[in-house]
Amino acid sequence: MALLPRTLPGTNPSAKTAAGTWQRRSAVPLMFLLLISGVVFGPLVHEATASKQKPSGPQVQPIALAGGTVHTVSGGVIEGATVLFEAGVITGIGIDLALPQNTRVIDITGKHVYPGLIAAPTTLGLTEIGSVWATHDNIETGNVTPSVRAVTAVNPDSEYFPVARANGILTALTMPGGGLISGLSGLIAMDGWTTEEMTLVATVGLHVRWPSYRVRDIPGLGGPEEQIKARRASLARFRDAFREARAYMIAKEAERDGGPFHPSDLGWESMIPVLKKELPVFIHASEEKQIHAALDWALAEDLRIVLVGGADVWRVADRLKENDIPVIIGAVHYLPVRRWEAYDAPYTNALKLHEAGLAFCIGEGGGASNVRNLPYHAATAAAYGLPKDEALKSVTLYPARILGVEDRLGSLETGKDATLIVTNGDPLEIMTQVERAFIQGRPVDISSKHTDLYDKYRTRLDQVK
Amino acid sequence: MLKNCWSLVPAALLAGAVNLAAEAQQTVPQAGLRENPSRVHALENARIYVRPDLVIEKGIVVIRDGLIVGAGASVDIPPDAQRWDYSGRTIYPGLIEMFTQAGLPEEEGRQTSGSTYWNPAVRPERSAAEAYRVTETEIERLRKTGFAAAMVVADRGIFAGSSAVVNLGSGSPNQNILKRDVFQHLRMKRNRSRTYPASMMGVVALMRQTILDAQWYRNAHTAYAANPRQDRPEDNDALAALDRVAAGSQAVLMSVDDDHAFLRAARLAEEFGLRILLRGSGHEYRMLEAVREVGAPVILPLDFPRSNDFSVSTPEDALDVTLATLRHWELAPGNPGRLHRAGIPIALSSTRLDNGAGFHERVREAIEHGLAYEAALAALTTTPASMLGLSSRLGTLDPGKLANLTITDGPLFAENVEVQDVWVAGNRHVVTPRPVTDPRGAWMAVLQGDSLSLSIEGAPGAPKATLDKDGNAMKAVRMMLEDARIAFSVEDEALGEAGVWRFSGSIQGDRITGRGIRPGGESVAWSAERTAPREAETKDIPAPADVPEPSALYPPGAFGRASAPAQPEHLVVRNATVWTLDGRGKLEHADILIRKGQIAVVGTGITAPENAVEIDGTGKHITPGIIDAHSHTAILEGINEGTQAVTAEVGIGDVIDSYDIAMYRELAGGLTVANVLHGSANPIGGKNQIIKLRWGAGPEELKFSEAKAGIKFALGENVKRSNWRILSTRYPQSRMGIEQIIRDRFQAAREYQQAWDRYEALEDKSDVVPPRRDLELETLQEVLTGERLVHCHSYRQDEILMLLRVAEDFGFTIGTFQHVLEGYKVAPELAAHGAGASAFSDWWAFKVEAYDAIPYNGALMHDADVLVTFNSDSDELARRLNTEAAKAVKYGGVDEVEALKFVTLNAAIQLAVDPWVGSLEAGKDADFVIWNGHPLSTYTKCEQTWIDGRKYFDIDEDRQMRTEVEKERTRLIQKLLRSPEADEESSETEEHAPEV
Repeated sequence: MALLPRTLPGTNPSAKTAAGTWQRRSAVPLMFLLLISGVVFGPLVHEATASKQKPSGPQVQPIALAGGTVHTVSGGVIEGATVLFEAGVITGIGIDLALPQNTRVIDITGKHVYPGLIAAPTTLGLTEIGSVWATHDNIETGNVTPSVRAVTAVNPDSEYFPVARANGILTALTMPGGGLISGLSGLIAMDGWTTEEMTLVATVGLHVRWPSYRVRDIPGLGGPEEQIKARRASLARFRDAFREARAYMIAKEAERDGGPFHPSDLGWESMIPVLKKELPVFIHASEEKQIHAALDWALAEDLRIVLVGGADVWRVADRLKENDIPVIIGAVHYLPVRRWEAYDAPYTNALKLHEAGLAFCIGEGGGASNVRNLPYHAATAAAYGLPKDEALKSVTLYPARILGVEDRLGSLETGKDATLIVTNGDPLEIMTQVERAFIQGRPVDISSKHTDLYDKYRTRLDQVK
Repeated sequence: MLKNCWSLVPAALLAGAVNLAAEAQQTVPQAGLRENPSRVHALENARIYVRPDLVIEKGIVVIRDGLIVGAGASVDIPPDAQRWDYSGRTIYPGLIEMFTQAGLPEEEGRQTSGSTYWNPAVRPERSAAEAYRVTETEIERLRKTGFAAAMVVADRGIFAGSSAVVNLGSGSPNQNILKRDVFQHLRMKRNRSRTYPASMMGVVALMRQTILDAQWYRNAHTAYAANPRQDRPEDNDALAALDRVAAGSQAVLMSVDDDHAFLRAARLAEEFGLRILLRGSGHEYRMLEAVREVGAPVILPLDFPRSNDFSVSTPEDALDVTLATLRHWELAPGNPGRLHRAGIPIALSSTRLDNGAGFHERVREAIEHGLAYEAALAALTTTPASMLGLSSRLGTLDPGKLANLTITDGPLFAENVEVQDVWVAGNRHVVTPRPVTDPRGAWMAVLQGDSLSLSIEGAPGAPKATLDKDGNAMKAVRMMLEDARIAFSVEDEALGEAGVWRFSGSIQGDRITGRGIRPGGESVAWSAERTAPREAETKDIPAPADVPEPSALYPPGAFGRASAPAQPEHLVVRNATVWTLDGRGKLEHADILIRKGQIAVVGTGITAPENAVEIDGTGKHITPGIIDAHSHTAILEGINEGTQAVTAEVGIGDVIDSYDIAMYRELAGGLTVANVLHGSANPIGGKNQIIKLRWGAGPEELKFSEAKAGIKFALGENVKRSNWRILSTRYPQSRMGIEQIIRDRFQAAREYQQAWDRYEALEDKSDVVPPRRDLELETLQEVLTGERLVHCHSYRQDEILMLLRVAEDFGFTIGTFQHVLEGYKVAPELAAHGAGASAFSDWWAFKVEAYDAIPYNGALMHDADVLVTFNSDSDELARRLNTEAAKAVKYGGVDEVEALKFVTLNAAIQLAVDPWVGSLEAGKDADFVIWNGHPLSTYTKCEQTWIDGRKYFDIDEDRQMRTEVEKERTRLIQKLLRSPEADEESSETEEHAPEV
């Protein structure tokens, strides 16, 4: 597979899984990487086909999953219990539950029920084929594009959705990338006929990418001085943007209070909820120096901060704890960034945040095609010391909490959305199968392009044999 | 390894110089009047190093006609000699710079005339002697450092040309070139543009092919000269220039910039019987034994790292400084001393220092770090002379040698000692102009009848003076000295009048007479007598100080090993769940007995010898070592030679990086064997190398020597350059063309072999031009004969079928299809052909050709009786291949034992190493992994990894190593911060300053 250069987003599958690349993305302008990666910007034709799986309509009949082991995540494990949900919402969990008359009872004896897994962040729905530029809608031109919203460009027919949900990932944060101030992420359910039907929260937060302090030896980036100069320019642009946004906010407020008219600016307008702390800012930063600098800035700006970080997050745990800043650990499966670091440094990041008492959740690298591997990132953290129940929470309850949807998602509790999966075992184990999935009570087709092709060529094998 | 035969015995002294003519001979017609200055000199009263180990405290050097007549305490001064007083000076044999580009043109256009070699990096016909110009600024710079002669070496390309030795005198090259065509210079440098060779393996292949071509050229032209009635071999300047190298009579200078380049150079030398010397990297101390074994002399650059080369003052920046960097900073100055003590001939060079700046300081550091003073001198005089085969003319002050002298004002390399003069072939070149007079010392001055003491100190040409009248010290300002005239001003009422007094005068020996102007304007006379000369400051010869010992860790950075892990005579693992992967599949509560690195028995209730090392495996799972059938770990400088569509001549085996930390990290995930492959940029790529992850071993020891040879092929988008920015016109641009080029090359290989067969069948070959050896076609011929396996990168079903049919047409079987993402669509055909399939478990959609990739691929192919493996193609994923195997269970329901074979036994079979590895059976290598749980579980971690019955990874030892790494880093950072130069460290601290 390897083709120079090796770490291309798009052309190298490792870019889809390696957090190293993901971190790099946050540091090097993505457009540049695409350029050196040789993505052809020309009119490459790709016949994008729609995924075959059909969404079902809103839940009308109550459903009871009976006799399984219920992993509530928030309230322990209940053996032989029933989960009842009506009109998309969980209405009961327990043993000997009274069921409404018309309840469809599904016997899941020997099976397990878990809340659907939540992937954050991803580019689901915004990209399709790595090397085909025409299928990328996650990066807008310019370094400061705060107003672009991911949910406006989600393709509900992306083949990625069935593939991900077949493995229990039922909710995802999908985000714009690139530049310094990338735009607004949204929370989507992995099911629905239209983008609007899929959207759970249209605007979750503003994603910003702090420039890297590392001087790199990559052709095209220039020498150390040029890189330092470019970084300073980026930082100045960063600060300018927030100053401009504040100035705009004041001008608009003054206008509302009878002051002079101020013409609209969609960019600055979109940042007002962030400045007012109604929306969080998701800061992408992974190096210790970068994180400190970003915190210095964000704390001074008095923003609601979520850190999306990698390698060095644990080194900054005390400061993050002191300021109550939640962390999305970008991924677990990546290489230590420095030669002398412990081989398991990426694996133990979550453990260290857990020990420091930080609020955190785990992502799978910010990709799209293999979001299905999210639970295994959490499992590796558990293999290297994170308690197993914490690992499960880090892909269910904790992301729900950090994304502000704890009231609806992340655990099995009465009143929450019936977004859940039925499995034959621990979903963090690869060998476990997801057998059923429900999103807001709607049964989800867990077949995918992959199972379709599997079936098709299984037929060929049978014919040949 | 090859022993180079370098004689370092000083040449016999010349009995006596012979000069028949009264004048130097010249071919240039005389313009104007002849100039015949005296050519006889006597340099007196100096300390003289006749040789590095022979010092005369006070002696004379006599020179006649550019040659040394004698040097010693009592040498007769000829009556016609010009006499030079060098009291207070030290005379050394003229220093020799062994690696400089001085006098060579800066830029050189690509040669388009003449019969050149096809590759522009091969320019052996370039001659430094032909290109040499006497460039005063560069020569003066070298003389300033004390050099009187130098080897001039072209430093471009791969075969850079032949070097020349020149005297660093003025005049024309005719007078200064001492020896031409000394060494052919080879450089291990890849081409950073998109022309061949863009990878290091391409560089090595090009070197090999070029040398073979030169050997062929010699033979071909000999045969042709004997019988011109045959196809005429081409004319080629470059190959003609390599004639002596090909014949083994000219030595080759190899420039190496790192440890692995050194090892590569040594291997090439051995392969072709080349006599080599090295321009080293400065890291030789790390592999002293290997360097000694090669026996080649080493030219050492002294560009020791400076503490301000990297930033450790802010804790965050320090994170990015590696332990290897820190260690090298500490140990680099000890390199010359260590090589010398190991008996390796060394020359010290100012190359790689900015215009030679700081050379003496670095030599001093080397001496302080253990290089004996005489050895340092020898490394700049006698040893270079011997390397150059010029011991009869250079290197000492013995009679008959060229009168090349380096003269200093103290011990060479000591602090504040400067080179004064450099004599080149009997001509004096002033480096540090000597003032006509030296007024320094204690004087008694008389001014208007008063006595004052006058003290003059400071540098010879820039004195500083103090006057003292009755205990009142007065500083002289505006001091000026020009030849014998001295002037200064004093402002002090003690002289008797307020205001500035000005004085001037003439120095004649120990007397000054002159006049002064009082502040009021009156003129007064003054004089002075020297009462004592300046106390000569004695400068000590630099000497070794506290020398840090290098740790013997290999690789030299973090997590290196002091030695190979022990191999117990007997080892037994007890009571574990053993995944044997033989017919028994998996055994509960089983034991494994290992003898001398090989599995003896696997079963239950085994009796082990008493001395057996015992491991309690209770609760543990043991599996065979994991094998990665597709890896790019441990490759140096380029995984693709993508500049040509066909590069079968290049090989990963030439560029194994034994320092790659990825290997250690992979061991920590249970990996023991990796199939290290060339990339996928061309239809026919390079040869692969199967390695065992014997972390701490050198590149050759990493190789799985029993493994079958192989080569990487590639199909589809990468080969077509579909996703490349620059629109490519390289053939092929379509999958149709890919088929054709592969077919054509195999046909060419077949015909190549036929040509050789015909030639070999000749009874008398003596006057027949032989076929030229072609390394590309030879490799492909090995594929045709089945000695070499094809591992082919592939995605789509059509291209998979295509290659199957091409192989069938040529009568061989494809080893493996790599990635083989649509293998499930043609699984029966793969099985029928007998090709293996090595896939990503679940990567998809990164390219158009990967859009139909499904994770069920492995299971479907497995069910169709294709031999299936899952691989990593990633240093990261290679750490978790056990759980990749679990995906075969998840996607398609492969049985657990069969699934584990996807990353063990099946890979061993695909790579034809299954007689040794892949399962736990008696007679196989003891390559195994101890897991703390089920090997297919995501919650499981690797605790120990064993190869050949040696424990290469242990989770507890790893903890200790981390502590040691931290400790060592802390110690070195402290040392660095306290080092003298650390204050100058360039800091980025202002980075944090908020910008408004």
